[in-house]
Amino acid sequence: MSAIEVELLAKEYQVFERKPGLWGSIVSVFWREWKSVRAVDSISFRIEEGELVGFLGANGAGKTTTLKMLSGLLSPSSGSVQVLGFHPWKREREFQRQISLVMGQRTQLWWEIPAQETFRLNQAIYGLSEKEYRQSLDELVEMLNLKDCLSVPVKKLSLGQRMRAELAAALLHRPKILLLDEPTLGLDVVMQKKVREFILDYNRKWKASILLTSHNMDDLAALCPRVLMLEKGKIIYDGSLEQLVRRYAENKVIRMVFGERVSPDKIAAFGADIDSLGTSALISVPRSEVSRKAALFLSSFPIVDMTIEEASVDEIVRTIFSRA
Amino acid sequence: MKKYLRVWWKMSSMSLMAQISHPLGSVGFLLGKIVRIAFFFAFIIAIFGHIKNLAGYSLSETALFFLTFNIVDISAQILFRGIYSARRAVSEGDFDFYLIQPCSALFRLSMTTFDFLDAITLLPVLVMTGQILERFSSPGFFVHCLLYFFLTFNAVLIASSFHILVAGLAVRTQELENTIWIYRDIMFMGRFPSDVYGPLFQLFLTFVLPIAVMTSFPVRAFLGLLSPQWIAYAFTLAGLLFGLSLWFWKTSVRQYTSSSS
Amino acid sequence: MRKYWRAYQISIQETLQRRSSLLMDRVGGLAVMLSLYYFWKTLLSGRPSFLGYSYSQMLTYIFGMNILRSFALTGRGWELVGEISSGKISSYLVRPLNYHGYALSLDLSKKTIHLFAALIEVGALLMLFHPPFYLPQSALSGLAFLAALVLASLLFFFLEFLVSSLAFWTSESGGPLFFFELCVQFAAGAFFPLDVLPRLIQKGLSFSPFPYLVFLPINIYLGRVGEGQMLRDLLMAGLWTAVFAAISLVVWRKGLASYSAEGG
Repeated sequence: MSAIEVELLAKEYQVFERKPGLWGSIVSVFWREWKSVRAVDSISFRIEEGELVGFLGANGAGKTTTLKMLSGLLSPSSGSVQVLGFHPWKREREFQRQISLVMGQRTQLWWEIPAQETFRLNQAIYGLSEKEYRQSLDELVEMLNLKDCLSVPVKKLSLGQRMRAELAAALLHRPKILLLDEPTLGLDVVMQKKVREFILDYNRKWKASILLTSHNMDDLAALCPRVLMLEKGKIIYDGSLEQLVRRYAENKVIRMVFGERVSPDKIAAFGADIDSLGTSALISVPRSEVSRKAALFLSSFPIVDMTIEEASVDEIVRTIFSRA
Repeated sequence: MKKYLRVWWKMSSMSLMAQISHPLGSVGFLLGKIVRIAFFFAFIIAIFGHIKNLAGYSLSETALFFLTFNIVDISAQILFRGIYSARRAVSEGDFDFYLIQPCSALFRLSMTTFDFLDAITLLPVLVMTGQILERFSSPGFFVHCLLYFFLTFNAVLIASSFHILVAGLAVRTQELENTIWIYRDIMFMGRFPSDVYGPLFQLFLTFVLPIAVMTSFPVRAFLGLLSPQWIAYAFTLAGLLFGLSLWFWKTSVRQYTSSSS
Repeated sequence: MRKYWRAYQISIQETLQRRSSLLMDRVGGLAVMLSLYYFWKTLLSGRPSFLGYSYSQMLTYIFGMNILRSFALTGRGWELVGEISSGKISSYLVRPLNYHGYALSLDLSKKTIHLFAALIEVGALLMLFHPPFYLPQSALSGLAFLAALVLASLLFFFLEFLVSSLAFWTSESGGPLFFFELCVQFAAGAFFPLDVLPRLIQKGLSFSPFPYLVFLPINIYLGRVGEGQMLRDLLMAGLWTAVFAAISLVVWRKGLASYSAEGG
């Protein structure tokens, strides 16, 4: 049995449409028009124990909705979803003791008081013995480097410290399934790296299955051997990130450095972007035209250095999304 | 059961810690609550400076009605303080955490902020009620006191039902931020003996919005003015309402988990 | 001026949009009015008058109370406290906008809607129960009532603004506002006419701005105030308004200063 099994899962919502203007708002006091939206459209996938999987997709593609269905916050409209053999939407206590959901922009920590109070509350909620609690907490404090943050009111913590405390609160009961929604949102680069390292550590140490969504391609590149790409509620890709890049990277990037200043107008005529000093430029060209274009540039400009690179993951994903 | 006690104890001590972190605000709330009770008391006493009875009740009887209202009102607030921020808990996602953790979400939502300020205001009200009850030593005093106690408890149960209904609404619509204030404002009518409201409106307050059952029945039973049929009605009503409110809560959570985005 | 007019319009739309919240506010006011209506009706049955209020004057006091609660005692205090504690306030401060003027426009929009609702409620009650309704005995007391109403709204606006500004210092809590709201309702006569209270308390209150919010406007309407006294009351109301406008502006500036010193 896989840790997570999803078959033809779908979710539909009703939303009401707001009419503009004063008259519209008076009308909507009495009458609202509803329309239904298909947020997740018949998706199927399996995730094994200990697997780390990334969810990729534009806003509104259905990532969060899927995570919520996996955690039991949303019930499916149709299809089936099983996590550790449970139906999440029944929210059985035994199931709840084995999962955790972390949402980057939401917090379960009490704002006014130190984080360790929330940890204690979770100890009571998850029914952890003093020994289990101590052991788990010490480990997390060590892994997340939380020692100095425990007794400071949460509102006084930095965003990075708060996110780490948030992770600790979510993992005290050592869940087998961890669902992360934008865990690095708003963190600086150093902190992002620390959080990523921790997620990887936790995954290795406890063989936990982890599913995460992120807008940050570095997260997915560093953490997830496998990614699922969603578009308009459907899975359009399931496989490794490298392969996704190869499949969708229709363009390569040519980077040029000039020996002398080049007139911006002249280089712009070739469709390339030039920097403000006029000494270097880059252009994105289709794979099939790389050699022809490279030769053309070499003969037309005083080039001292030229490189030909794959487009960055960020760029590729952006092109896929903008196409959608 | 033991687990819930531990969770409750932890949450209460946490909210006490949080409240202490801004003392000035807390003092404002405490003073506000005390002033409200004091002012109405002053009003009732002042009124009786000019008249001898109100709808047939003496000053101490009228005061007893007012105190009973306060007992029911404050008890419900102690138990369900969290409902007042239910909408915020839902919109800011706290409620999502309650739902995925292995502990009743209704319990978390209502008890999450135990208000020790309410507990402080309840004490003097209880003491005053005891003092007034003592004045009425009649032959059936003990039985009347028991009736008063159980009917007051019954009233708290009805108030609880309303709070649970409101919690259900907040989860269902994510919009009715003020529903609980409707309840509070309508409860305003419970400050006076329900006889004040004239026969027709009193029926309304007995059967439709059972404020009379909550705040007037206990006192009338104590004074020996309530027939056994009405007492039976009060208990039945509370049982039904409580069951209904739990059912409504369940369906609301079901709807929440099938519609939110 | 145009931007304040625009803010007023947008805020009217917003208030209407949040229909449930509007409905709740109204039901609350209605419950208070109904309950006091019955209370005084019972108390005055079999008595020609109480403390000099005739039956129709007392019931009219209750109706007037609902209208004054809706127009004068309605404000945005809680929203302001929220904006201060969440830091949202700073986004207004960078705009070319006088915040007091802006807040007043939003206040007025809320007052407008609540005034309409209160008039409808009182109208419905009059149609339903046909209670005796007291009309002003002279055009003068009618006009003076309108003036008192406007002054009461302004006075309440500045008082509430002052108390809400305390959120700059009370670290994110509405405690002072809660206390203020309760005290105001009693001390202004928004639950019962102040004549009910013992003389000493009445005397004390007459040195405060509160009676000018509800009690005096209604008494002017009911013609229970002589012409000379009426003029003096209006002057006093104006004076209180000016005093609290000044204090609230000063406190607001100090609050902003301490706010930016802490870095929000």
